[in-house]
Amino acid sequence: MQKGATASDREAQTALPARTVVGWQGVRFTLPPEWNVTAFSLDRDNGYVRVDSPGSGAMSVQVRWTDASKEVKGPPTPYYLLAPYFRRLLKRPPPPVTKTDLRQSLEKILKDAAKDAKKSHAVFDSQMKSEKTEGENGERSSISFTWTGAGRGQGKIWRCDTCNRVVVSQVIGLSKDHNAIGNVASQLFATFQDHTIDGYDLWALYDLQAAVPSTFRLTAHKLMSGHLQLVFMRGAERIIIDRWGLANVTLKKFKLDEWFLTNSAIKSANMVRTSTTAFGGHEFISFEGALPVSGRMAAVRDAKGSMRGLPTRYSGGVWHCAETNKLFSIQVFHSRKTEKLIENILERCKCH
Amino acid sequence: MPLNPAVKLKAQVFASRYMPFLKIRPPEMDRSGALTLRPGRNALLTWETKEEGKTMLTVPLDMNKGGKLTRLLAKWMRAPSERYVELDEVGGFVWELCDGNHTVETIVQKTGKEYKMNRREAEVSVTMFLQMLHEKNYIGFYKKVRKS
Repeated sequence: MQKGATASDREAQTALPARTVVGWQGVRFTLPPEWNVTAFSLDRDNGYVRVDSPGSGAMSVQVRWTDASKEVKGPPTPYYLLAPYFRRLLKRPPPPVTKTDLRQSLEKILKDAAKDAKKSHAVFDSQMKSEKTEGENGERSSISFTWTGAGRGQGKIWRCDTCNRVVVSQVIGLSKDHNAIGNVASQLFATFQDHTIDGYDLWALYDLQAAVPSTFRLTAHKLMSGHLQLVFMRGAERIIIDRWGLANVTLKKFKLDEWFLTNSAIKSANMVRTSTTAFGGHEFISFEGALPVSGRMAAVRDAKGSMRGLPTRYSGGVWHCAETNKLFSIQVFHSRKTEKLIENILERCKCH
Repeated sequence: MPLNPAVKLKAQVFASRYMPFLKIRPPEMDRSGALTLRPGRNALLTWETKEEGKTMLTVPLDMNKGGKLTRLLAKWMRAPSERYVELDEVGGFVWELCDGNHTVETIVQKTGKEYKMNRREAEVSVTMFLQMLHEKNYIGFYKKVRKS
């Protein structure tokens, strides 16, 4: 609270939620309350997430990962383009991928930090610990590091043998925030997961927590104040997850089912309200129906001509979470083989 | 001898406002500074709250604007002397708090608490809304200055 605050300023102090769970492209971690995702990449193989602290955002968590199992892409020569096809044709195994040298990668990161320090005329100093093995089954080889220069950073770089990811995560803040950085870093590293166990990736940001099969890829997103939408695709199958704020204002004008039908991804007379089930103490109103031919054609077009998992059915539903004053909806365009998809997603969702 | 920062700031504000030929930009305000400002309503505006939670602002129009012919035409055609702006429930809530006593920070916190919004979401939407009201001259921003 700033100096000179009035009684009304002090009154507005709100109770803080327990903690912030962040999930993006298969990585998940927990941070102190009110931290928010401020930057991310859509690429799953070489990804990036940045989460800022509340208030002035002086502290931030940066996570970068690369898929070490993928070959480093060279120039698009005929050899690079044709070699995988010939390998498959001749049933030859792919060439072994050399393991990433963690120390070398870390030195590169610290070199960049040193450059920044030089620009701001600060003295740069860094410390690297020796490589150690960690994880439940000893699947991680990691190196911890700290640096001071244009600020202060505490982080860790590791390679996970299970998911073949090389992850660099660090907490960056001002030089004076030494203790706070340490506390956040310990919470970050204690809760960090770089791969899923049950085949479902957690997508968690801005009060939304949903799990989607790892085989689906994020293809589109909308991040607006009051509306958050994530769209995932696998072949022509599609999952749309929405989170809308200010539910009490919306529900003064519309009934929940009316509102969902006007905002759903498909407007079809074939959509039938199937059931109303209890979900986490809320009423989940679901709709189902056969996709019209135009919907199927649109699905193939969106999948760039892919006929894999051609959706023939639509399942969707909506619920109102009074605790967080939000509306959540899940819509799935699926084939007959994946009838249970919406139920599986729903049972992994968390709204409050 | 280094100049006192407060004096330097005042000189910068004065030069940017009254000496445009010097091409000195007005000092930029950082985020934390902007959150301490207190929005206050334009005294010329009146408003009423409706039953559905909406707020109706009545904005008087300047009838002396334009040339003689424009004024004559406006009088002849009975052009309205005021304009009505309807704010939704959340807008009305923020409008009520724009009384010059609440800081932007407080309004953000109160709106977030009332509508159970994430802090960042509340801050983005409230500041955008206040900025829009300011651009239309419906509100002004005050800064509380301590007497030395």
